[in-house]
Amino acid sequence: MKLNSFFNVVEATLFRRRLAVLIFFILTSIFLLFQASQIKLDAAFTKHIPLNHSYMKTYLEHRENFGGANNVLISVCDTSDDIFNPDFFTALKGVHDKLFFIPGVDRIQVKSLFSPSTRFVEIVEDGFAGGPVIPANFQPDEAGLAIVKGNIEKAGIVGSIVSDDYSCSMVKTSLMEIDPNTGEKLDSIVLAAQLENEIRGEFEKDNISVHIIGFTKMVGDVAKGAKGVVLFFAIAIAITTLMVFWFCRSISLTILPIACSLIAVVWQLGMLSTLGFGLDPMSILVPFLVFAIGVSHGVQMINSISKMVNNGKSSKEAAQASFRVLLVPGGIALLSDTVGFMTLLSIDIGIIRELAITASLGVAMIILTNLVLLPLLVSYMKIPAKKATTNEKVNSGTDGIWHLMSTFATRKVAIFILAFTAVLYIVGYINAQNMKIGELHAGAPSLHEESRYNQDTFLITDKYAISVDYMSIIVETTADACTYYDQMNIIDQFQWRMENVEGVQSAVSLASIAKIVNSGYNEGNPKWRVLSRNQQTLVQSIARVPSSSGLLNSNCSAMPVILFLEDHKAETITRVVDAVKVVSKDLGKDDLVFKLASGPVGVMAATNEAVEAAQIPMMLYVYGAVIILCLLSFRSLRATIAVVVPLYVVSTLAQWLMTALDIGLTVSTLPVIALGVGIGVDYGIYILSTMSVKLRNGATVQSAYFDALKERGSAVLITGVTLAIGVSTWFFSDLKFQVDMGILLTFMFLVNMIAAVLVLPAIAAFLWPERK
Amino acid sequence: MMRLLILLLSFLTIPIINAQPQDAIVAPLASKSLLLDITIVNQSTLVAVGERGHILLSHDGEVWQQAKVPVQATLTAVYFFDENRGWAVGHDATILATKDGGLTWQLQQHLPHVQKPLLDVLFTDENNGIAIGAYGLFYRTVDAGEHWTIEYHNEFLFPEDQEYLAELKLQDEKAYLDEQSSILPHFNRVVADGRTLYLVGEIGLIAKSNDFGINWQKFDEIYPGSFYDINRTQQGNLVVVGLRGHIFRSLRNGTPWQESDSHVTALLSAIVLTDDERIFVLGNNGVLLESRDDGSTFTKHLQKDGKPLIAGVWYKNKIIAVSDVGIKTINVMK
Repeated sequence: MKLNSFFNVVEATLFRRRLAVLIFFILTSIFLLFQASQIKLDAAFTKHIPLNHSYMKTYLEHRENFGGANNVLISVCDTSDDIFNPDFFTALKGVHDKLFFIPGVDRIQVKSLFSPSTRFVEIVEDGFAGGPVIPANFQPDEAGLAIVKGNIEKAGIVGSIVSDDYSCSMVKTSLMEIDPNTGEKLDSIVLAAQLENEIRGEFEKDNISVHIIGFTKMVGDVAKGAKGVVLFFAIAIAITTLMVFWFCRSISLTILPIACSLIAVVWQLGMLSTLGFGLDPMSILVPFLVFAIGVSHGVQMINSISKMVNNGKSSKEAAQASFRVLLVPGGIALLSDTVGFMTLLSIDIGIIRELAITASLGVAMIILTNLVLLPLLVSYMKIPAKKATTNEKVNSGTDGIWHLMSTFATRKVAIFILAFTAVLYIVGYINAQNMKIGELHAGAPSLHEESRYNQDTFLITDKYAISVDYMSIIVETTADACTYYDQMNIIDQFQWRMENVEGVQSAVSLASIAKIVNSGYNEGNPKWRVLSRNQQTLVQSIARVPSSSGLLNSNCSAMPVILFLEDHKAETITRVVDAVKVVSKDLGKDDLVFKLASGPVGVMAATNEAVEAAQIPMMLYVYGAVIILCLLSFRSLRATIAVVVPLYVVSTLAQWLMTALDIGLTVSTLPVIALGVGIGVDYGIYILSTMSVKLRNGATVQSAYFDALKERGSAVLITGVTLAIGVSTWFFSDLKFQVDMGILLTFMFLVNMIAAVLVLPAIAAFLWPERK
Repeated sequence: MMRLLILLLSFLTIPIINAQPQDAIVAPLASKSLLLDITIVNQSTLVAVGERGHILLSHDGEVWQQAKVPVQATLTAVYFFDENRGWAVGHDATILATKDGGLTWQLQQHLPHVQKPLLDVLFTDENNGIAIGAYGLFYRTVDAGEHWTIEYHNEFLFPEDQEYLAELKLQDEKAYLDEQSSILPHFNRVVADGRTLYLVGEIGLIAKSNDFGINWQKFDEIYPGSFYDINRTQQGNLVVVGLRGHIFRSLRNGTPWQESDSHVTALLSAIVLTDDERIFVLGNNGVLLESRDDGSTFTKHLQKDGKPLIAGVWYKNKIIAVSDVGIKTINVMK
């Protein structure tokens, strides 16, 4: 009762001072629109990784010494012949110099044929001879190129700096986290644009092609692809508007929910910008969701209002009454959406948390715009009575369908529905067990296989003996450990055992390099390719390896073992990580530990583990929240069961769909489950909120369901279709992860709707007594 | 007093280094690991040895089986006296023996504290063998390897070095031992040619012995770099190969050494003789040289991957070589 009188006060106040409230909304909208126009695309590397995961702590701790996982690889290729021509060397030098001076590039790490650290060593009778591969007096003429060609062979850089077929040469670097010029975080998107315009744009011509890969470039391409969503957004708005018009046959009633939903989007973006957040390519999808959710609730509102107008109320009375009727179920539904999104905060990955904040903020805005602003606006309108009669005709036509559907709530029919659902669930559950964690495809999973970025990746992995899929295991030990045979021997043994793990293509460490250097000191005789037991000799071979090689820190208390993997599929990563754990237990000791993991695959391993670990808690939280909200609003265990069971079945089916379509559980698909459940619960809440009142008054389940369908049925169907349309435009996105998310969300929205009108009444038929 | 202390200390440190050797790990990639020598046993079985105590057997040159080996030292050479009895040597002055054709191996010597590798091994009969290695390391057995005793072949030193050593021996026993253990050149390869042994090594060392290595006669220096292999060709002439693409040839009647042009500067590590009078020379950087005129001229066939070809055998009209990426089968045209 107390709650009721509170709502009375709210209702009375809002509608009595509706002008003041409206002015408040207008002013806020103007302010937030301005703020929203300031929003920036923002994609920092660290946002995509679970920073508190133990692997990532290792990664962050050693990033300074060993370069991070944030590298840029530029392969300059000659498309007509091999690289030994003056044009190519001019272009390569140009790329090297240009890259060197781009702010944010770690200049020490810039490596190419032209960097002084690219040296060759040759064995002669009295020791070593060597020098830079490109001599200081290099001229790109025939003689000069012949010398360079010889030096390249002696330096053993074919496969790393020069491609196997001598048609390409690599320029690579690491990026810093902070832009040294501004002192601010490095802007990946700006840097990617620089790479595209100043390097590819300038040097790719005639016979020279430039292939750029690396996380930053990928983010840039993703951001570019994300801009395509503006078009999808427009299409989604257009289709949705048509749907709503078809539903209500009134231009003004169509425009209002669309406008209010757009206001919610503006508010959300404005709030984000005010709070200092940017819009990440991944969370750029949230405005769609907010818009679609907003429209679906707006439709409920105008549905209720026009029904009341049909019953002879004035539009103001109808608006006021609808506000009153829908505030609680609408509020609960939106609140459960919000809570569903908030549960994503429990996942320790910046980008998912951001998504959680963005989405829950957006949904909270809908409560204001579509449950408050919308009825207020309607109250100013005059809804013509004529429209009402046509609406009624339509309604009487649909009554037959509703009557047919109401049989779902009889035990005779329900038993079949439930049996069918049970079979589907069991099959789905069994198949869902095969759902894979992580990325399942080669190349950058965010982008399509045929995208330039992925084509470049394939070219580089094909032409060079390097893999972009590598993981570094950091050996943490005591200072100067590299001068002790025993310690180095353990690292060497570790490396060998890891090389034998399926999925590991090759490996490199200070130990393996020291062995090669040692054979170099012995006339290049492979029989001396060992770690010397003699400390002076060992030191001699290690002294040849500079710390800029990324194989040791300044006092060699930390040394990575770099494992190059065949791919970054989840199974490969798991197999290698498990092997690392076993072998490091065998070989590790108090003063020498093997720490997982750095490098791109190290990051993926941590992300996969974080995603896997988050999956179950996230489901528990989101279902916990939905259950509590249902219990609170219906005060009935039966009603809660009837709402939650269909939801759970649909989540399981969604996992089956992921398995069937080869979509892995990743940072981008994990949130979909929470979003799907949070939004999917809306249908059930709307239907049961009507049903439970009737049931309490003694109606049979079938008649209660019939009444609910009459009152909310068409709105529920429209809602489901509207939401599905909003997200289905993503199918055509340039971004693979948007396509995946689009498929899954469309599935969850549609199937949750079907389950709400099919399975929910069937369950209800058995939970409530079958009174005649 | 001081000397006693040092002696005491050296006794204390040796047991630490002499930690129990560990068995070689049977690894899927053993046949793709660094392998350093290969031999044919009884015309049919191939035996290859290499890093981490890897010993691999094959009956067809394609499928390789890893033997049980009680040590993880890098093995540099293998020798079979007959179809059952063989020896392998390597780093840590390791000597292994087999009595079952290479399936299982027993450790006869493992001396990590010596800090030197053995680089070759040879037996004249089932009991008498020698093992040679870096810094003139030289062990001999007369009982099939039950006991190995060290020998110093100071005849390879210049006269002034021999005098210096003799002097030092009188003055300071320890300094003498230190010096003795590092003053000799590396012995890289020893081969038997009938009753004659040929030895090649560092600083242009070529020597022969007619009493199974008790006394050696050094050839005159023809080249200051290292030699890695020597062999008598099918036509009975001597060929020796070494550092920076050097090949020398001496005809049967003992003519002075003549250099053959190899056209390469890579280290040449092994000579492989075929059954059709061809000579192949293997080397670093994928160097494969072929001679059809008994070693006076060579043509080069560079292997594309540039991997060092370390040793090889002629097997079923192919060269089965070992490299740092394991076994390599090289088809050479007739």
